[in-house]
Amino acid sequence: MGTAALLALAGGVALAVWDQSPRDAAALLSLSLPDTSGQQQSLAQWRGKVVVVNFWATWCAPCREEMPEFVKIQRELGPKGLQFVGIAIDQAEKVEQFASELDLNYPALIGGYAVVELSKTLGNPLSALPFTVVISRKGTVARTQLGAFDPTKLRSTIDSLL
Amino acid sequence: MRTERRSLILHALGVTVFTLVTPAPAQVNPLAPEKAFRFSARALDPHTVEARFIIADGYYLYRDKLHFAVEPAASGLVTPSLPKGKMKEDQFFGRMETYRGNLIVNLTLPGTTPGQKVVVQAESQGCADLGICYPPNIQRVTVPLPAAGSAPTPLDEAPRKQWFK
Repeated sequence: MGTAALLALAGGVALAVWDQSPRDAAALLSLSLPDTSGQQQSLAQWRGKVVVVNFWATWCAPCREEMPEFVKIQRELGPKGLQFVGIAIDQAEKVEQFASELDLNYPALIGGYAVVELSKTLGNPLSALPFTVVISRKGTVARTQLGAFDPTKLRSTIDSLL
Repeated sequence: MRTERRSLILHALGVTVFTLVTPAPAQVNPLAPEKAFRFSARALDPHTVEARFIIADGYYLYRDKLHFAVEPAASGLVTPSLPKGKMKEDQFFGRMETYRGNLIVNLTLPGTTPGQKVVVQAESQGCADLGICYPPNIQRVTVPLPAAGSAPTPLDEAPRKQWFK
């Protein structure tokens, strides 16, 4: 009886895990976007690291508010194999200005609205910002967050993948 | 024994199903933009269209991101004077004016012919207090202008599909 309950629970857990089955981040990692200096940057260069892709814009106040925390986490965990990548739905000069104000220590790539459309397939049907995708070393989506990412949850997600 | 076992399994599954349908906490659940920012327009007279946004509670539009256009271009839209918004302090942009609640903007069209149709386009960008922003959004409505001297037409609301193109 106890075994049956355990089995059922295990099945339940398996179902729950299946429901959040790791999605492939291939489409995101195959992007190549210009940075603020116009240089094309391929996201594939960070494959093998834990990659946190953050869609943001300077005109999005809640996006800007959480970025200092990202800078801190990147500084702490970058040496362990973490790579933040910002994709700004914005103009390069505004992004550059904000990046220098913030001493941004990770790449700020420039994407158009077509790029944020890509986030629709990852659980952001409204193409709203900020939207953050945590990608494992194997290239699967470990977690997504629409709106500000709770720093504790973000850190524990990253820790479990590093 | 068997029945008991089954009920245990069902119970476990019940819990599982509940877990699966419960939305993940901490994820925000914002309104679709067409519900957050309802756009409509109606003719007041052959040369004036009243454009209106009904902004849901907890949502706001930025004044300097609001732009109107009217087709055909020969309508000659006069740059509308937008009402004063509420000041919002922004650490990067300084003071930003925002709109909440109802926003009404009158569009003057000196070049229209009474009885013709115009397409009113509004480009807007807004955010929600729950901490997300929407990308700039374009909405269009077709407004039939009255023949000279007739009463204002009823409000013509933007078709929903326009939001999802």
